Amino acid sequence: MSTAPSTRKRMPSALTFELHAKCSTTKARASTLTLPHGAVPLPIFMPVATQASLKGLTPDQLKQTGCMLCLNNTYHLGLKPGQAVLDEVGGAHKLQGWDRNILTDSGGFQMVSLLKLAKVTEEGVRFLSPHDGTPMLLTPEHSISLQNSIGSDIIMQLDDVIATTSPDHARIEEATERSVRWLDRCIDAHKYPERQNLFCIIQGGLDLELRRKCCEEMVARDTPGIAIGGLSGGEAKEQFCQVVDTCTGLLPEEKPRYVMGVGYPEDLIVATALGADMFDCVWPTRTARFGNAVTAAGSLNLRQASFADDFGPIEEGCTCASCRPREQGGLGITRAYIHHVTAKETVGAHLLTIHNVHYLLTLMGSARQAILEDRFPAFLRKFFNDLYGGDSSKFPTWAVGALRGVGVDLLSS
Amino acid sequence: MGLENPSASSLTTEMCQFTILKGAAPVLAPRLGRLVLAGRKPISTPHFVPLTSRGTVAHLSHDVMRDQTSIASLYCGLEDFIEKDGPAVYKVPCTAQESPLRKFICMPDEITLVLGPRRAPPVPCPVPSTNNSVSILTSVGFRQLPASEWVDAVQKLRPDIVVGMADLATGTAAPGVKRRGKMVDRTHAYTRDATERLQRESSSPTATTTTTTTYFAPVLPLENTEQTIYLADLESELRPAIAGLALYESASLGVLPPALGDLPRLVFSEPATPHEVLRDISLGADLLTLPFVGALSDAGIALDFVFPSPSSSSASPSTSSTSLPLARDLWSDTYTTDVSPLSESCNCYTCRNHHRAYLHHLLAAKEMLAWTLLQIHNHAVVDAFFAAVRASIERETFESDIHSFARMYEPDFPDKTGQGPRYFSFHSSSSSSSSSFDISDYAGTKSSPQAQTRRNATQKRTVV
Repeated sequence: MSTAPSTRKRMPSALTFELHAKCSTTKARASTLTLPHGAVPLPIFMPVATQASLKGLTPDQLKQTGCMLCLNNTYHLGLKPGQAVLDEVGGAHKLQGWDRNILTDSGGFQMVSLLKLAKVTEEGVRFLSPHDGTPMLLTPEHSISLQNSIGSDIIMQLDDVIATTSPDHARIEEATERSVRWLDRCIDAHKYPERQNLFCIIQGGLDLELRRKCCEEMVARDTPGIAIGGLSGGEAKEQFCQVVDTCTGLLPEEKPRYVMGVGYPEDLIVATALGADMFDCVWPTRTARFGNAVTAAGSLNLRQASFADDFGPIEEGCTCASCRPREQGGLGITRAYIHHVTAKETVGAHLLTIHNVHYLLTLMGSARQAILEDRFPAFLRKFFNDLYGGDSSKFPTWAVGALRGVGVDLLSS
Repeated sequence: MGLENPSASSLTTEMCQFTILKGAAPVLAPRLGRLVLAGRKPISTPHFVPLTSRGTVAHLSHDVMRDQTSIASLYCGLEDFIEKDGPAVYKVPCTAQESPLRKFICMPDEITLVLGPRRAPPVPCPVPSTNNSVSILTSVGFRQLPASEWVDAVQKLRPDIVVGMADLATGTAAPGVKRRGKMVDRTHAYTRDATERLQRESSSPTATTTTTTTYFAPVLPLENTEQTIYLADLESELRPAIAGLALYESASLGVLPPALGDLPRLVFSEPATPHEVLRDISLGADLLTLPFVGALSDAGIALDFVFPSPSSSSASPSTSSTSLPLARDLWSDTYTTDVSPLSESCNCYTCRNHHRAYLHHLLAAKEMLAWTLLQIHNHAVVDAFFAAVRASIERETFESDIHSFARMYEPDFPDKTGQGPRYFSFHSSSSSSSSSFDISDYAGTKSSPQAQTRRNATQKRTVV
């Protein structure tokens, strides 16, 4: 597929990965990932601060949710404030006043998702500038150069992203092989491997054989961490689980595994059971702006009239700053107040964003604790019971199937 | 300027005590005071009362307000809470001592809550007030708020300070003689009826709750001679029922009878600059509302003034030839890579943790955090300004300090560059239009004609 491993340059790593425990039933793992800006407990959910700000929250508010690692998007930061400003200011940490870890994507996903006219060639992704329509080219070298300027603790290779649902198998195969070739170019272009960790991205669509080949090629490149990409693009959840399960089965145990663009709480929990460690998604913060609260019992739309007179907290027993009663140092925010301001004042979005991010971080923290104490299967049962009000007939069949595959039968008592 | 006041005068009602600590004359002179409301953090005056929208200072979540500002009082408009039949704000479970308004908006006990019928500044209503109601604008449209419903609301919601209902004829051109007469008669009647009911029902032995409300009677933005009878009534018969005055223009500070001089004055004069704030304070304003603070935050403009002059400034006002800008427009490309704090002399959360380059980026990226960080900063600058004003009155250099300030700073704020982010929308990625919503729909109806124009300009730009 690409350069012989012997001719490749040896890649330093700017992280340590300490595996603490493995679930004795499922493939779930509990570990600590130590990055240049601090230790990150895994498994973890990473909130997405697209343009160097988490949707109205100050860096201190984000810290208070417990976040140790958040995302910035290379594509957006490359447009605004732009590479020259990032260089002059001294990178994204200094730009946004965030002294914990940052992960950036390569920009390739936005090329394809936001820009209808993007065209992928061996050289890179050709697209028209959203500013003035002039033709532009994002190459692996340019993506890495931008991420070097951003200074993120984890940087991602540029990959050839196509929808997993694409019917064109030849194109999927080409994209997979090209992603390996681009990885080599990214490794060569990476200026600061001693302080920024480059992660490869496994491609291969829904073709498990292709995924296997890609895993083999990319693992040989020995990047500090490994991502499973090209998912959450509308494929069936069963297929999503198969891909994650297949890849984690082939990946080295001593490296962090990041499933990109996931997702809903049940996706995170099932993928954790399948052996993945890191997740990101805009959903919890985006849905907050529409008045939706993420809770153990599912998502609640607080704009509904039934919440207008509900003077309880967003989620009973939640320890986030918004929900915690004032006597416990919290704000004592009620559902009725969120209903009153949501969609009308930015504060409504801020208060719900605090809750939603805290919910997902706490959920992953509880999963980690359960893995450490080797009671993760019981945790899975409780999670699905709470989510579906104890009605196992409502459990999604994909989740039941995926968990059965790793030794947990949600439907047996 | 001879501010002597050996025997501080003190006005006490059961729940509210206003002490004038220093002041040369009962009216038309600057003064220092202290407003103490039972259970609340005392407020040193002159001071400003931050404005809320739907119970929140725009863009400041409750933790940010608590942790990163020194806001101690809030002004709320009832019209922000009563768009539905049987509004939720009336249903909050409360003990007899608690304020349902406070509980509904989730504000802590130490914050002083001021409630008026309308937001400040109010959006002009197309339909005039009547003999027993005023026109208001809720989030679902215009309607009449009957005076009796207003008093019911006050009794239910138990704010710390009530700004009495007034017929203000907002938005219309200068009201004619007949209209002015009606304004006075109606306001007089609203005040008489409201105070009578509040007095009667709080002293009634069957009262289920103790009224803790302090009533600020409106003074109309008219000549003294046009409201003589009303003012005389405030001085005499109504005097025991009122604990303060609400004024709607600077000139009203000059129509007050000296006999009402011991009452705290809350002024809604909408000063456009700190120079105008100083003018109102020099005329005896105790509490002021300042719409420019939030408006500038929305426009991406950071305040940058210190009273009477920045201490770090080496140039004395007399030798410096050019005056300093009152604020900086962070939309300007000059701040693209400027990593200095918003204001060199400011120690607020924003200035301690962030720089102009980040604010410039957030504005350009239309990130909500821009407005949050600007609100923190702008409120901090104004807070420090009022503290300095009080110190200046205390050391009796206020008059000369006003002159220094006027020489030091430009007369106006910089122009908005037309890229104001106030009217934004949240975009949904899903195709369902019902799941996407647009704050601008609401904000537009609430905005002034100028803001509306600005908003239209913004929309045009987006389309281009």
